[in-house]
Amino acid sequence: MVCIPLGYQLINNIHFGGFKLFQEFLISAFNPKIDNEIIITVIKRLNETILIGFFSWLVSIIFGAIFGIISSNIFYKIFNIPNFFYRIIRFFLTIIRSIHEVVWGIILMQIYGINFSIGIIAICIPYIAVNSKVFAEQLETIDYKSFESINQINAPKFSSLLTLIWNPIINTFKNFGLYRLECSIRSTVILGLFGIGGIGTSIFLSFQTLNFRELWTYLWSLAILIILSGLIFKKIKFNTTNKILSIFFIAVFFITILFSFSYFLYFIFNNNFENFNSVSSLFKSSSDLGLFDFLKLILETIILSLLSTGIAISLPPLVIGIFNNNTSKIFIKIFAFLLRLIPTPVILLTLLTFNNPSLSLAALTLGLHNAGITSKLLFTNLDSQDKRNYIAMKSLGISKKTSWLLGLFSQQAKSYLAYCAYRSDIIIRETAIVGVIGSVGLGWQLQESLSSFAWQEVTIVLIAYSSIAIVGELINGKIKNSLT
Amino acid sequence: MNNTVLELENISYKYKNDLILNKINLKINSGEKIALLGKSGSGKTTLISVLNGTIKPTQGEVKLFNKSFEELDRKQKSKITTIWQDLRLIEDLSAEQNVNCGLLAENNFYFAFKNLLNISSFKKAHKYMKLCRLHNSIYDKKIRKLSGGQKQRVAIARSLIQESNILLADEPFNNLDPKLITTIKNLLLENVDKNNTKKSPKTALVALHRLDLLNDFDKVIGIRDGKIFFNIKRNNLKKIHLEKIY
Repeated sequence: MVCIPLGYQLINNIHFGGFKLFQEFLISAFNPKIDNEIIITVIKRLNETILIGFFSWLVSIIFGAIFGIISSNIFYKIFNIPNFFYRIIRFFLTIIRSIHEVVWGIILMQIYGINFSIGIIAICIPYIAVNSKVFAEQLETIDYKSFESINQINAPKFSSLLTLIWNPIINTFKNFGLYRLECSIRSTVILGLFGIGGIGTSIFLSFQTLNFRELWTYLWSLAILIILSGLIFKKIKFNTTNKILSIFFIAVFFITILFSFSYFLYFIFNNNFENFNSVSSLFKSSSDLGLFDFLKLILETIILSLLSTGIAISLPPLVIGIFNNNTSKIFIKIFAFLLRLIPTPVILLTLLTFNNPSLSLAALTLGLHNAGITSKLLFTNLDSQDKRNYIAMKSLGISKKTSWLLGLFSQQAKSYLAYCAYRSDIIIRETAIVGVIGSVGLGWQLQESLSSFAWQEVTIVLIAYSSIAIVGELINGKIKNSLT
Repeated sequence: MNNTVLELENISYKYKNDLILNKINLKINSGEKIALLGKSGSGKTTLISVLNGTIKPTQGEVKLFNKSFEELDRKQKSKITTIWQDLRLIEDLSAEQNVNCGLLAENNFYFAFKNLLNISSFKKAHKYMKLCRLHNSIYDKKIRKLSGGQKQRVAIARSLIQESNILLADEPFNNLDPKLITTIKNLLLENVDKNNTKKSPKTALVALHRLDLLNDFDKVIGIRDGKIFFNIKRNNLKKIHLEKIY
């Protein structure tokens, strides 16, 4: 269904002038630039990326846990606080979460200028809210009877809280924490494309100068970093029964909190808000943005989200189902890895070499990148699945494709779709990134408004973005619940 | 002198449209050992939950040491200990950590922290675990790895370590073999053992199904459909009483 409008617009917008560039881009993948100078640059840039990624992860995971605790119902039960406060905090976190880190980055850059710490803050703001949601969801799983039992012992409230939440927090950190570090590094790369620093900035500069060989050196080095970190993460095991290690983690926890607070205060009191005339300008009702244009942008953003989600959901099972043999699988896995590896702005800029900017192109970019992610999940689940049904169907003479669909995929379909519902939340937020570059939707308008310091327009666009993301999250939540 | 430690005055408890407890009046005096009999679903667990303050009655008042529950401070409330039918242990913590949870009321936050980090003293916990015939090989095992009987004894040790005056127990002898039942019964109902190594609660109300265990109790209460049918001395218990509730 998605292919019809998408294909039509893409074919209409094609231009052949850039095919040579695209060809050069592809060939450079096998011939990256390798010399002393670039190796030194790669090490320096990767170092920056790791530092921004690591610190934003550390701060966001710790504060995410803290906000997760104060936005979970167990906290309110123990301290007998009315649920009203819990709803306010959750709503506040939902709004923060609904705006992508790139948007936070662009806004903060406009206010404070380009700064190493802007990258960390821009990632931390939505990440704290995202992490807090995950921690809160885990804390909701605490058996109510355990709570009653601890409560009946009549321990001090903080002792009861700590005893009840300790293991869910540690388990969430073990299962989810390291994955978030990888996400943090990816976000650092994307923010780098917008000038924050690190390898992302180098990738963007290489693309601007059409130096594809250099570009691929950066991309492959990023791939090595992600693969290596994945391998290291698999080896890391958190042993909470080791006393010295536990004390070390607690020391890191408190030092991070203290450092973050002191840095936050320093940041607030030592920065000039040069480009930010007054806070009141945010809430002015006058704007040059016409109602019709504004509604059109909202509609574009919604269509962009729907089309991208359609591609991200349907492409992996379609491709894996059609090309269902071992050799094809290897190629699909490599292709999916590349789609995950190459940041969406770079995919979009590459496609723009032979296609005019359009909604379809932006949707294709976002869809392909996310298809890379959904296909990884699908492959992991399919590989670990019991194949007896599939083999039994094939032995009955049913075709390989139908056997795959009914014997393998059908058993994974529910969990796959539930994950895709979660993924579509992220896609809605990511429309901002492709919007900025691909001249589509509210992302583009946000960039324009920020460039002209039209803060009232920025406010309107952010409210619209946030509203779309929140509505999307509610719908996806319902879908997810019906599937699980 | 009034030696009533726990008192229920006209207690009713309604859950959705069901009346679980119906106008219950009960006085428990210091030193009494009471057996609570009744069919499954008769309201025994709810009665225990009302007595320990876990659930608030829809109607009536619960008094501990002649004071309403709301008027009591944390230390006073901690004079009641409960052994739950479903044990309510924290599955991800070890057996000794769970037993140490019984000491949370008399210690500060730092103790809770040390308990979770495994750096607190487990001396007292080990003492009570040993009394409950738990082998030291299971002390540091996670609850989810223990058998039903072992879990039961961990829950009992957690309750005993509180050294509370009043014990409320909901079928505490489940999952235990006959030899262990005698040991645990002595632990729960005898005030001081021969070596004076443990302090049992002075007052106890224990929900039971097994009639052969009644010998160690002073009084027997029979409950059916949320109502107390009899509240008599054990020696006066007749077949006719049991027929009313079963």
